[in-house]
Amino acid sequence: MKKGKKALVLILAGGVGSRLNILVQKRAKPAVPFAGIYRIIDFSLSNVMNSGLKNVGILTQYKPLSLMDHLAMGDAWDFSGRSRGLTILPPRTGESESDWYKGTADAVRRNIDFLESNPSDEVVILSGDHIYNMDFDAMIEYHRSKSADVTIAMMVVPRSEIHQFGAGIVDKNDRIIEWEEKPKEPRTNLASMGIYVFDFKYLLDCLKRDKSEVDFGMHILPRSIAEDNVFAYPFYGYWRDVGTIQAYWEANMDVLRKDSGISPQKWQIRTNVEGGSRISDRAPARFGEFCSLDTCLVSAGSKIDGSVTNSVLAPGVIVEKGAKVNNSIIFADCIIRAGAVVDLAILDKRVIVGANAVVGYGDNYKVVNRFKPSHLYSGITLVGKAAVVPVGQLIGRNCVVNGGVTAASYSGLPLEDGDTLFADGKVT
Amino acid sequence: MLKPTTLAMILAGSRVNELNVLTSSRPKSAVPFGGLGRIIDFPLSNLLNSGIEQIALLSQYRSYSLINHIGTGAAWDMIGRYRKLSILPPSQGAMGGDWYRGPADAIHQNLDFIRFHEPEEILILSGDHVYSMDYQDMINYHTEKDADLTIAFTRVPRSDAHRFGLAEIEEKDNDTRGGRILDYWEKPLCPQSDWASMTILCFKPDVLYQALEENHKGESYHFGLDIIPSLLQKNLKIYGYKFYGYWGYTRTIDEYWRSSMDMLGSNPAIDLEKWMFRTNLDHRNIRDNEPALMGENAIVTNSLIYNGCKVGGTVRNSILFPGVHVKRGAVVENSILFYNNIVGKNCRLNKVVSDVNVVFKEKVTAGPLVCAAHTPVTVIGWNNTIPQSTEIGEGATIHPNRSGGVWPSYINSGEEFH
Repeated sequence: MKKGKKALVLILAGGVGSRLNILVQKRAKPAVPFAGIYRIIDFSLSNVMNSGLKNVGILTQYKPLSLMDHLAMGDAWDFSGRSRGLTILPPRTGESESDWYKGTADAVRRNIDFLESNPSDEVVILSGDHIYNMDFDAMIEYHRSKSADVTIAMMVVPRSEIHQFGAGIVDKNDRIIEWEEKPKEPRTNLASMGIYVFDFKYLLDCLKRDKSEVDFGMHILPRSIAEDNVFAYPFYGYWRDVGTIQAYWEANMDVLRKDSGISPQKWQIRTNVEGGSRISDRAPARFGEFCSLDTCLVSAGSKIDGSVTNSVLAPGVIVEKGAKVNNSIIFADCIIRAGAVVDLAILDKRVIVGANAVVGYGDNYKVVNRFKPSHLYSGITLVGKAAVVPVGQLIGRNCVVNGGVTAASYSGLPLEDGDTLFADGKVT
Repeated sequence: MLKPTTLAMILAGSRVNELNVLTSSRPKSAVPFGGLGRIIDFPLSNLLNSGIEQIALLSQYRSYSLINHIGTGAAWDMIGRYRKLSILPPSQGAMGGDWYRGPADAIHQNLDFIRFHEPEEILILSGDHVYSMDYQDMINYHTEKDADLTIAFTRVPRSDAHRFGLAEIEEKDNDTRGGRILDYWEKPLCPQSDWASMTILCFKPDVLYQALEENHKGESYHFGLDIIPSLLQKNLKIYGYKFYGYWGYTRTIDEYWRSSMDMLGSNPAIDLEKWMFRTNLDHRNIRDNEPALMGENAIVTNSLIYNGCKVGGTVRNSILFPGVHVKRGAVVENSILFYNNIVGKNCRLNKVVSDVNVVFKEKVTAGPLVCAAHTPVTVIGWNNTIPQSTEIGEGATIHPNRSGGVWPSYINSGEEFH
């Protein structure tokens, strides 16, 4: 770890991330489990820790309980100690105004008191939603060497994807001279990663000048680029916004492959393994006499007697004899009973798949989900937290089984491709 | 919660020579066990699950590994207003001071500590055994009988009995929990009982204080050898409490291997989840390991594998601690590999116990091709790098820290290699 720097870090962790569908039914996007034992926010937090930064504020808003439980006192990332700290910053009421956070800049503005009581040279603002490995300390050094007011981490993305990002055009010194937020017509392939280093005083001035500027990408940055010194900090390497089910699934699968560029262990990603209230520690994973494995991640506490191929298993997953798990992501404490098949699916925590049931049935991957066509279109089926799949039940492709669905919610017929089943038994 | 009334003292200082290279740098209680933790985790988890919240650990032999493992005690929830895990190494005082000359002397040297806590019962345990037990049941029995001393016993095969303290326990009123101890023999040549002491003793404080003061005048400081027989002579109320669960002892390498194998199978005798087992996940940072990665050619049967492992070869009937890599073409059978072992391509290990940080270069073989019931265990001490194609015979012992230097291409069966 590097010697202490004074920069203060703010992590924006309040967004809904609604395209993650039922994975964010009960939790904020940064708290969504990833690669077996991690949560998405572990990547940002570990980057902060490994960069030697010691003081972090986490701005929460949407369904923060799961996230707060995971963060606890910040011990897992070494944020507890005399000169360290992890502070949760929820929206709060004030004397004159009280409202939800209206945007990224508004959220920071309403924590100006937190900034002022933690004075530093720079403020690093980042999102808790991304999977990557980055040294913020090097970025701060770069920021200083450029005498910048703001430095934005940017990376090259395919032009076809630039419409999802803030796009910047730079001069030969990497100074940003033009900015477009989510442009329809690509003019550059340089995309903002949503990581900003602000000069401390400059940030306070920006926030104070106009309260109607509620978003960094839309309001604050374009004005700063026009009026002041804003530089691009080039980033090369693995970076994913796992904001869609497809991207989330692909990034999990990347962890299985050596050449994909992602390695939580090498990146020294830390997590809070004691979140939740388990009495005992997870035992080593137990592999039975008849199990069969091919390219998979298996976490402690799992019991494998069936076959697991090309899949990521969180702690405590039980795969019984004759059951098959392929191309899937299974969250903690799911049970896949004897003879069941889970194919191209994401199972949230504590799902029980009954004997001989099939999740991901048939080979028609093209029928999109009718309820949320833009969320599920490639064949992936989702099963929500603690849902039950009855014995012998067939569930097609691009389906959603909502959290808490019980055996009584099913009609007895197969769930067709693209169906969504709700807890009250309604199928859309 | 009211201030707790029981004080537990764990004797965790001893080495146990028979475990050979596994205890060359750590006391027996700190020997890794079960794929993630240490033997001491079993009594500590038992204490946590029995609701006993004041604990002292007496350590002497190479205690760094043990002290490091215990940390603050937070892993077992032992930090709080009344919850505490104290480590008591030998110390010097105004009246001089000395090494612990035996278990009873170790307790005697800490009488001030014990008196300060004003316990109603003192529970003395050894840190060396693998079992799951609710000590509260035993304490309740002790209190109900108004006993001066209660000792826990478990049944062992008569053929093994000579290695333990044995008691004749009175059978009365069909009470299967136990009875008065009528006679006691410490490691007798000709066993007359198969109830063996688990070295778990529950004392009335004054009885303990007096016994230790008297024992202190002599020259031998053992509970089984000295204190229990002398208390029996005085006609005190000494009870045997019978324990019917699994009790794994690990005094020799062979026993260590057999107790470890009791974790395998479809209905294992040792089930860490059921036992509500806890270890210190901060020790060796095992909490930071990513999930185990199984490669496309991995074949794993009847084995335990913890996070941080990478398996590209074959693993059968084995236990892999965090961070073990088994590379392509390698076959690991009937073996226990401690933290961060690297098994190179096309190695073959059978009935091997390998301590931490051992690297097997390509094509190393250790142990026999096929394992029989009496095949001796091959033991590799820690921090060794074994050169390519070395053949290690069954039952050989390789001493620690022998990386580099000249290695023979063949190490004989049963050889001790320094």
